[in-house]
Amino acid sequence: MTGLGDRILGLGLLVLAVAYGWAAQQWPEPFGGAEGVGPETFPTILSVVLVAGSLYLMIKPDPDADWPVGKSALELLVSVVVLVVYALLLEPLGFIISTTLAVGVLSWRMGAAPLRAFLTGLISAVVVFVLFNYGLSLSLPAGLLEVH
Amino acid sequence: METLGFLMDGFAVAFTPYNLMFALFGAFVGTLIGCLPGLGPANGVAILIPLAFTLGLPPETAMILLTAVYAGAMYGGRISSILLNIPGDEPAMMTCLDGYPMARNGRAADALAASAIASFTGSLIGTIGLIMLAPILARFALTFGPAEYFALFLLAFATLGGITGKNPMKTVIAATLGIMISTVGIDISTGTQRYTFNVLELYEGIDFILAIVGLFAISELLFFVEHRMGGGRDKVSVGKLSLTFKEIVSTLPSQFRGGVLGFIAGVLPGAGASLGSFISYTLEKQVLGKKGKFGEGDIRGVVAPEAGNNGASSGALVPMLTLGVPGSGTTAVLLAMLISLNITPGPLMFTQNADIVWGVIAALLIGNVLLLVLNIPMVGFFVKLLSVPPMYLLPIVTMVAFVGIYSISHSTFDLYFMVVFGVAGFFLRKLEIPLVPIILGLLLGPEMEKNLGHALVLSDGDWSILWQSGLAKGLWLVAGLGLILPYLVGPILRRRMRNAIKESPVSD
Repeated sequence: MTGLGDRILGLGLLVLAVAYGWAAQQWPEPFGGAEGVGPETFPTILSVVLVAGSLYLMIKPDPDADWPVGKSALELLVSVVVLVVYALLLEPLGFIISTTLAVGVLSWRMGAAPLRAFLTGLISAVVVFVLFNYGLSLSLPAGLLEVH
Repeated sequence: METLGFLMDGFAVAFTPYNLMFALFGAFVGTLIGCLPGLGPANGVAILIPLAFTLGLPPETAMILLTAVYAGAMYGGRISSILLNIPGDEPAMMTCLDGYPMARNGRAADALAASAIASFTGSLIGTIGLIMLAPILARFALTFGPAEYFALFLLAFATLGGITGKNPMKTVIAATLGIMISTVGIDISTGTQRYTFNVLELYEGIDFILAIVGLFAISELLFFVEHRMGGGRDKVSVGKLSLTFKEIVSTLPSQFRGGVLGFIAGVLPGAGASLGSFISYTLEKQVLGKKGKFGEGDIRGVVAPEAGNNGASSGALVPMLTLGVPGSGTTAVLLAMLISLNITPGPLMFTQNADIVWGVIAALLIGNVLLLVLNIPMVGFFVKLLSVPPMYLLPIVTMVAFVGIYSISHSTFDLYFMVVFGVAGFFLRKLEIPLVPIILGLLLGPEMEKNLGHALVLSDGDWSILWQSGLAKGLWLVAGLGLILPYLVGPILRRRMRNAIKESPVSD
């Protein structure tokens, strides 16, 4: 079926719009009684607009894009995991080590030779660390490399 | 001549060594960003915002830095169009038509120099237009009430996709999503918690800066990963400059026409820079007709769209500065910076923050001179950068974005959020949901709700106030047209633009 992507998106947005609109009706009435515009007025309008938009998407979807399959999809997943792990390890491992790993893995996966990739990571990490810590006096986490 | 006095004050702000240094830095980095593969102006400015914050720059310096980056990125965009036939962004598409053939004829250096001069002329015309038009528009905008503002915001969203936009409904959806995200947090007027799910980090709402950086920078990285474009491109040589003074003078009329048309296209809602450069190019073709060799490397075919494109980028600043309603992605990002500096954009900015507005305008003029001086001798250096493979570059850029966001709040929670936005941005771009309306929704959502509230308080809950005044009616009408016209005129215009590109024989 063509336009599957848009239809799925439309369905997702419809669910979101209904949940969003429903949640807006659950808020307690603000102190001082209801006025012309309460906290729920604007979100209610938005949810109506989004319901209309998502229905339109499902009825008249655009042709599908080429979705990555197989290896590309895996590479994408790896990249996202690298980014999440980078955020996770930034503080415990420190900026230099985690950045070397993150930039290295990313550029290696994008096609650079492993040694050059990690070297790029290390050099850029050191340069940015020195620049931020000493040049701009903004402290980045030193982590394991911290000198006590 | 009140304006001239303000402009002089602006120059006094921009000419302090500190600000001048940042303008130069911005112009340089901007050109770099513009000519690097895969980094458009909106991306570039977005990545530099956290940096401007962490440096603790004063507002006028931060704005000067970002405006210089903006102008620089427009300059840089043409380099890859001319040398590689790959437009850096959409407006640069028309520059490819004659620029690339010129480069193939061995006149790459001339094409680059001519386009640099044309960019300068275009920006100069655009900036002069901005100086003349902005104060008038700002004064007019003072008559706007909350109902008019509400209609104006709707107009901004409706026309954002542009007349050439593909599916206006997707723009509407994107804008609604953006506004929805902006409602997260504690409601300002009543104190009700909205969509916070009792997560402490959500009480203050979602910081649009991390949304912008995530949507733009991270989704770009993912796109590169998907398309495996990491390998970089062949080295290109520029050759010797053989452009004569006479030749430049002979293109001046084209530059002038291009700049003026571009400026007008930039100011008008919904037209934007791509239409600006397209109109400039087609007009030039019509005016010169058979006298030119368009499509085969005519220098005027390089000059006209480039002047148009840069005129439009200055023109796009007019609605952003005077009404607080940006007309393009990059100006939306600039608006984000203004809002985070606690400056309320809009007509009052011209009186309350005159030093910033005029400082920025003066910086635009100075930046253009700097760019011209920087670009002609240093073009070789920028060309070398084109051959840096993205596989090294993009991970580093992503890392800089991470550092920028981290150093604002020192919280890793923000980093996860940014990655989430990046992944969402990737999927939305795949589904052709435009990202710029999301950003604009995030920025304008709170203002929109505030104005709706004010209008309804004034009318005692009567909704018809929103379309009662003549001005508001006009705004609603234009907004409606902005949604309908793309269905009627869009296909025709798009086909013409495509034909214009096909006609030019880029034979191998």
